[in-house]
Amino acid sequence: MDFFLSLVIAGACVGSVYALVAVGLNLTFWTTKTLNFGQGAVMMLCAISTALLTAQGISNGVGVIAGVTIVALVGVIVERIAVRPALKTAGSMGWVIATLGFGILLQGITSKFFGSQAIPFPEVLFTVQDVIDIGGQNISLQYVSIFVVSILIIVVLEGLTRYTVLGTAIRGTAQDMELAIVQGLPVNLIVSGSFVLSSILAGIAGILTAQISGTVDPAFGFELVLMGFVAAVLGGMGSSAGALIGGIIVGIIGKLVGGYISTAAEHGIAFALLIMMLALRPEGFFGRAEVTKA
Amino acid sequence: MTSSKSYSSLTLIAAALLLASPVASAQQTIKLGMTTALTGPFNEFGEGNRRGVVLAIDEWNKKGGINGRKIELAEAMDDQLVPDKAVQNMRRILDNKEIVAIIAPAGSGPSLATMDMLEADGRPTCNPLAQSPSVIYPKGKEQPPRKNVVSMAITNESEANRLGQILGKQYKNIGVIHESTAYGVTGAELVKKSIAATNPAAKVQIESYNQRSQDMTSQVARLQRSQVDAILVVGLGADFAVIRKNMSRANVKVPLFGSTGAVTAPYLEGAGDLAIGTRSVSPDAFGKRPLSAYAQNFVDQYRAAHGTDRWYGSDAANPQISMAAIVGNAYDCAVVLLDAIRRAGSTEPAAVIAALNQTKGLAGIAVPSITLTAQIHEAFKPEDLGLFEINKSAAGALYLKPVVE
Repeated sequence: MDFFLSLVIAGACVGSVYALVAVGLNLTFWTTKTLNFGQGAVMMLCAISTALLTAQGISNGVGVIAGVTIVALVGVIVERIAVRPALKTAGSMGWVIATLGFGILLQGITSKFFGSQAIPFPEVLFTVQDVIDIGGQNISLQYVSIFVVSILIIVVLEGLTRYTVLGTAIRGTAQDMELAIVQGLPVNLIVSGSFVLSSILAGIAGILTAQISGTVDPAFGFELVLMGFVAAVLGGMGSSAGALIGGIIVGIIGKLVGGYISTAAEHGIAFALLIMMLALRPEGFFGRAEVTKA
Repeated sequence: MTSSKSYSSLTLIAAALLLASPVASAQQTIKLGMTTALTGPFNEFGEGNRRGVVLAIDEWNKKGGINGRKIELAEAMDDQLVPDKAVQNMRRILDNKEIVAIIAPAGSGPSLATMDMLEADGRPTCNPLAQSPSVIYPKGKEQPPRKNVVSMAITNESEANRLGQILGKQYKNIGVIHESTAYGVTGAELVKKSIAATNPAAKVQIESYNQRSQDMTSQVARLQRSQVDAILVVGLGADFAVIRKNMSRANVKVPLFGSTGAVTAPYLEGAGDLAIGTRSVSPDAFGKRPLSAYAQNFVDQYRAAHGTDRWYGSDAANPQISMAAIVGNAYDCAVVLLDAIRRAGSTEPAAVIAALNQTKGLAGIAVPSITLTAQIHEAFKPEDLGLFEINKSAAGALYLKPVVE
């Protein structure tokens, strides 16, 4: 039972980070029907900025805020230079390469100026040794904090989009951008804002994960964005609840497969789930099949 | 007639000037080439190798080079430890016919990808770091080695033998976590064989991971469930730090061992004080104090050139042992090749290889006495490895301390 529980808890915590990434992907999908495939590099940049700043003696809190602020600005840039020009041509898929390329560029710049080596990441929330006893099972507070922070952020975000004017504007833009423009909504600002928010979520996911691994390097984040994408597709593209459930399912199943079957299959199982979902229910658990006019 | 003599004299003077010109000197230098991980996440190996080679070349040049010819690292290309890039780089190096000797890439993957090209080309080559046995003995140890390739690297076999002996003697139920690369897979298999040879009753459970995994709960939980009494990690430093942190979170307190590739700067930086108590086998000679005069000179030269950096460690009086296996082995590689060229009196591959095969008792950094023959192209032996444990100095620095077995 301890074995099963430890795998489920670790899976749920890691999965909640995937969910955070998936929600970030959903945000830009709502407003522009695009995904930022450079999210991995955004996570890396936030984590490396935090690590480098705290190594200079700056407090963890200030380091985290600075890291998140940097990637928020990156969100504006990625939308302006990688996504907006690509969307000028109707039906263009240029944004896929543009966002991916932007991520690779960020990686290259980081390697050039800060080196390619793994940098130690500080313990932002609790230490490795901090544990809590739940039902006789020692559970790492770092894992618990990751889970709680991720869920809180997703719940707050969902509340904002459902119950605030800003959320209504975002949903309006998502449903019909042209009508939103006619209604006088600042659509460009909303789109830009969705990329900023998406980058902030990616940055937080990067910080939470770097705390678990203990180091961060320029290649950090690539696998996380893939897992986030799997979570988003599994839950249903565009659905926050779906992203949350999808992320946790990917995390838990991955750990259970790793624990009970083979550790070599732990990562592959996520992609097996993705293929299965695309074949059986392409709209995901919580997504709705897209209806198009004939 | 006078005019003809004048022209002859002028021609001679011009020829002499031409020979003395920088272009002529450049043609006469003895050129080495290498492709290695100068950048990228594994550049602690490649850049460390390059520094070792440059240090050896500088020292030989200070002594006048070889028969008056200066030595030059003509090509030092970056492959980031990616096999494809290493192959492209090696093609360019081999296209340069002026390069007379080659230093192989800093890992088993890129080395194995380039070895057949190097063997077909025939120029003398030295492997500073790749541990896979196929690098030198592609058809197994019973068959002859590649004719033109020698190795200063700690071999998988010698490392696995030592680790297997230590683990097999002390523990009954051993967990091995390895990365899913040639280095990790071969290393884990060899350790398992060595444990079985030392203690046939010992149980060995093997788990694997992909490089850069950010969480290793499954691997650690499986070993915890099997109640292993020691864990060995065959992998690289940053991943080892993740495993160590996972062990701490899961409250796994069994003795922890690491391969030489694992107990490196990224492990110490990533795991911090959790690294204390971790055991590893490393070059024995470099762990002893005082160092031999030869090793001390190498250490002093390195510190003069680079200071107390991440390869040397923070303690000026006590260089970290991983330096021997990374910088030291590459230094030894360059010295072995240059010594063979000197003894051969030629840069012709056949002559240099014949001289390489007669290397006997040459001083080295990680291997104190380097001997090679036509059959034995690996300088490293299991007895060159000692057992070490990570400790913390009064100044707060982590270092490897020899363990009395």
